[in-house]
Amino acid sequence: MKKLSIKKLMLALAIFVCLGSCKKSFDLTPGTELDATLMYRNVYDADAAVMGIYGKFMGLADKYVILNELRADLLNYTANADEYLRQVSTHTVTADNPYTSPRPFYELIINCNDVLKNFIIMKQKNALKEAEFNQRYSDIACLRSFLYLQLGIHFGDEVRYVTDALENVSDINNPALFPKIKFDALLDTLINFTEAIPFKDQYPTGTTLNIVLDAAPTNNFFINKKCLLGDLYLWKGNYTKSATYYRQVMEYASFDNSLENRYTQWKVGWGGNFNHYISYTRGGDASTLNMADGWRTIFNRPYDVGYTREWVWALPYDSKFKPENPLIKLFSPIGGDYLVKPSQEIIDNWNNQQQNPITIAGSTTGIPYDARGLISVRNIGGQPVVMKYLYDYINYATNVPVNPFAKNGKWYLYRQTLLHLRFAEAANRDGFYKLAYGLFNQGLTITFSTLPTINDKTNQQNTFSYPDPYKFDARNGEIPFFRSDWYRNIGIRSRAGITPYTITSPTDSLLQVENGLINEGALENAFEGSRWPDLLRIALRRNDPAFLADKVYNKLKKDGDPLADATRAKLMDKKNWYLPFKL
Amino acid sequence: MHRKIFKPLLLIAIAGLTFIGCKKWDEHNAITDPAVDKDLFQQIGENSNLSKFAELLIKSGYDKVISSSRTYTVFAPTNAALAALDPALVADTAKLRMFVGNHITNQSYYTINAVALLRLQMLNGKYNNMLGKKLEDANISEADKYAKNGVLQVLDKMLPALPNAWEFLEKSPLAPAKQKAYLLSLFRNVFDNTNAVQIGVDPMTGNPVYQPGTDSVRTNLFWRNVYDIREESKQYTFFMLTDNAWDTEVNKFKPYFVTGTVDSTTQLSSQEVVKDFAVEGVYNPATIPDSILSKFNTKMGIEKSAIVQTIKTSNGIVFIMSKLDITPKGKFKQYVIEAENYRFQSADRRGNTYFRDRFSPVTGKDFRDVLVFRHGLALFNLNYRLNGVPALKYKAYWVAVHDNINGLTTTFTQKLGIGSATSAVLPYITVALNNFNEVYLGEFNLTTYNPVLDIYLTAANNTAEATNPIVCDYIRLEPVL
Repeated sequence: MKKLSIKKLMLALAIFVCLGSCKKSFDLTPGTELDATLMYRNVYDADAAVMGIYGKFMGLADKYVILNELRADLLNYTANADEYLRQVSTHTVTADNPYTSPRPFYELIINCNDVLKNFIIMKQKNALKEAEFNQRYSDIACLRSFLYLQLGIHFGDEVRYVTDALENVSDINNPALFPKIKFDALLDTLINFTEAIPFKDQYPTGTTLNIVLDAAPTNNFFINKKCLLGDLYLWKGNYTKSATYYRQVMEYASFDNSLENRYTQWKVGWGGNFNHYISYTRGGDASTLNMADGWRTIFNRPYDVGYTREWVWALPYDSKFKPENPLIKLFSPIGGDYLVKPSQEIIDNWNNQQQNPITIAGSTTGIPYDARGLISVRNIGGQPVVMKYLYDYINYATNVPVNPFAKNGKWYLYRQTLLHLRFAEAANRDGFYKLAYGLFNQGLTITFSTLPTINDKTNQQNTFSYPDPYKFDARNGEIPFFRSDWYRNIGIRSRAGITPYTITSPTDSLLQVENGLINEGALENAFEGSRWPDLLRIALRRNDPAFLADKVYNKLKKDGDPLADATRAKLMDKKNWYLPFKL
Repeated sequence: MHRKIFKPLLLIAIAGLTFIGCKKWDEHNAITDPAVDKDLFQQIGENSNLSKFAELLIKSGYDKVISSSRTYTVFAPTNAALAALDPALVADTAKLRMFVGNHITNQSYYTINAVALLRLQMLNGKYNNMLGKKLEDANISEADKYAKNGVLQVLDKMLPALPNAWEFLEKSPLAPAKQKAYLLSLFRNVFDNTNAVQIGVDPMTGNPVYQPGTDSVRTNLFWRNVYDIREESKQYTFFMLTDNAWDTEVNKFKPYFVTGTVDSTTQLSSQEVVKDFAVEGVYNPATIPDSILSKFNTKMGIEKSAIVQTIKTSNGIVFIMSKLDITPKGKFKQYVIEAENYRFQSADRRGNTYFRDRFSPVTGKDFRDVLVFRHGLALFNLNYRLNGVPALKYKAYWVAVHDNINGLTTTFTQKLGIGSATSAVLPYITVALNNFNEVYLGEFNLTTYNPVLDIYLTAANNTAEATNPIVCDYIRLEPVL
């Protein structure tokens, strides 16, 4: 009996010793994860925080495309789509719909808040220099404003504006802590906050975030702050302010040492060594649409000069790194689930355009469709597939992936054509219809030339009589010699080889040009995430629910959705333009 | 001591509790329906009304099949239904297996699920249609009886294994002789390398050389060109003409197949007649419409009074007709040749050829045409080939759009060469400016049947670029009947 007791005693002792050492064994610092206290020490840590935020932001790409395109009229669900995706398209979203939950946006916003808070602490501790702080703080601040603008667009007056670094996202549901803010008031708040950021340019050359990373120039990774400000003012209805910011972006390359960059980057200019025309290898022969060069390569470029001249903001997905590309799953029938497809509405829209005639093959009629449609959408296995996000994955010549497992691609967020369309929208609302019309049709040089053409261009091809920011110099003359910064501006429709938009009643330029701009946004920037915001902004501005409701109705009707009529009736009521807010 | 006993006691008590629980669980799981414990053959054996079918099962050996662990549905005819069964069939093992196999199918089929027509493959390879409580024309009198390995359905009629449409044609004395003889004459050896044995490579062409006899299959042209009416899984309505009617029809079409010999004319005419005689689907003799469209879009007028007999087959139905009048106008369709799909150019001028997409204000639709401009050759031409063109008179039309090609405001001419590029059968026609309408080119007469007919789109006989382009959307040849 006695022996046994000793054994038990020893066992108890051993357990006690083990328990005693528990604290230490559980408090080990993790081997592969960084402890919060070691996170914000120097500028490289700050850079890591910025990259971390953008890395997480990339996880939102599919939701961004679904919210901004599937709700509008260019994209529709396929037979493969689940009930929740169909809800998004037919505007019958239930609160439990995972695609329309604001939660992932708020998670990222709270991460942004945390980073912003720590950047301020770092600045106070002199861990960041003034300039370093300004650049990084402004970047993350703008991204947060961008996320809030997205929330406002989709949730309307239900948004909670949170600027604290919360421990728990669900706290946002507490109305006592965070009251709802109206969409209009949200815009004011965002403008006030974003206008006050200390730095509005891109990361300057030589800074640690303006580098080439795995062959990609990082400069295009980060949000363009002036585009965001232009957008915010455009939503608010402050057109001159909006146009001023957009114009600054359009002039980004105006002091570039390379003349080609100066004339073409973000100016929708012709030529250079990188044309983004719709072209045919033999003009007039419709069977020779150039896929190897020109407009298609916008969506399948290496990170070269042509890429940076077109793209203002785009983020790359590389199969070698996380996060995984969610857009292939969404769009591709090969290696993906093919959940969404182009609507018949947009296909008809392309087919209703007319190309400029090519003299040798018939000088009175041209090809009767917009070839951007043939590039934006292709048939794979008998199904229409949105190709813009897939050209880095599926080879255009063979329609099969070069490497099925290398799901590379890019998330396209802002392109020079979107910039020009938005600038033109602001200019149009400010009364400069002709300028707006010229930018999206034949370009400034042609629009502001008087006919018959005269040799002296001194008083031609410019808008010197307009106030800033609408003053443009697009002169291109020989005697006297002019090659002004804007002389190559070609216009969005001209670049695509199609005839100018028809204005039927010149007395009503404002609405007609605006309609033309929105339509051009569909033809040129389809599926790039700008359609729903465009429709919503115009419907709000004109107080015209039918503008929005009819377009969604046409999509559903043409695609044979039985809910078309019900959806139209629903969207005629403004309160149904927004999604249910549930975290 | 007391402690030592306590532990085992506790263990036994707990174990006991567990076992008591187990028993209840067994009861919960136990089979309460005795039918589910018996396989299909046992069930049939216990039903005195199915004793004859049970005997047939044993005799054919299918009793072992439906006692196995795989799942079947057995459609068992009652003794009354089997009373009329031919004893000769029972004596012939192969026929008996066909017969019994026609009542058994894989998997379980319930009448409640047969809300839409189910086409079931039976174990003998034939198919029967099930809809609600009917299998073909037999009623299911006792439905959905569960068994361990499937379902038992009791039928009030037996289902003899019928021949399919082709077996009917080959074997039945009811099949009219002349059409039968013609169809049986259509067996040919056709190249098929599926089972071919390669014995070398032709040094001249690089093509494989196959061992004679392995590189072809013997098949019937009717199976290949119209429908393979042996196929059990599909259903066809097959028309046969009585001998007189057959002769009438064949003679009617002979003038359109003028050739060097009487035999080949008859052959071609017969082929033309028979190609419309099989259509997919089953038409009920009572409800067959007065006209139906064949595979080749020929309208066939069906007079109910001309139906001599109808025979149900395992894959549809055969109509024996004393008359099946098809007009030449119904048979001979117009030819529409898309001009951009040319076979070849008289000289390679791809660099001067434009495939143009245009919108037609006349049709309201987009179309693609072909333009060859600046080819620099007199009589430059594009070739098209038609196969099996009957001897007829044709009217020719084209759509050719000269939309100020290269800014030209003058017109040019081009022509359609029938048989050769320089044929003068049709004249040169001026291509007017911006005309999207069809233009009539004239008519031409083919006095003999043409196995192949070459058509040419020929440019003017000069080398001037302004006057020798060719442009065309489509060419339409309309038979004059």
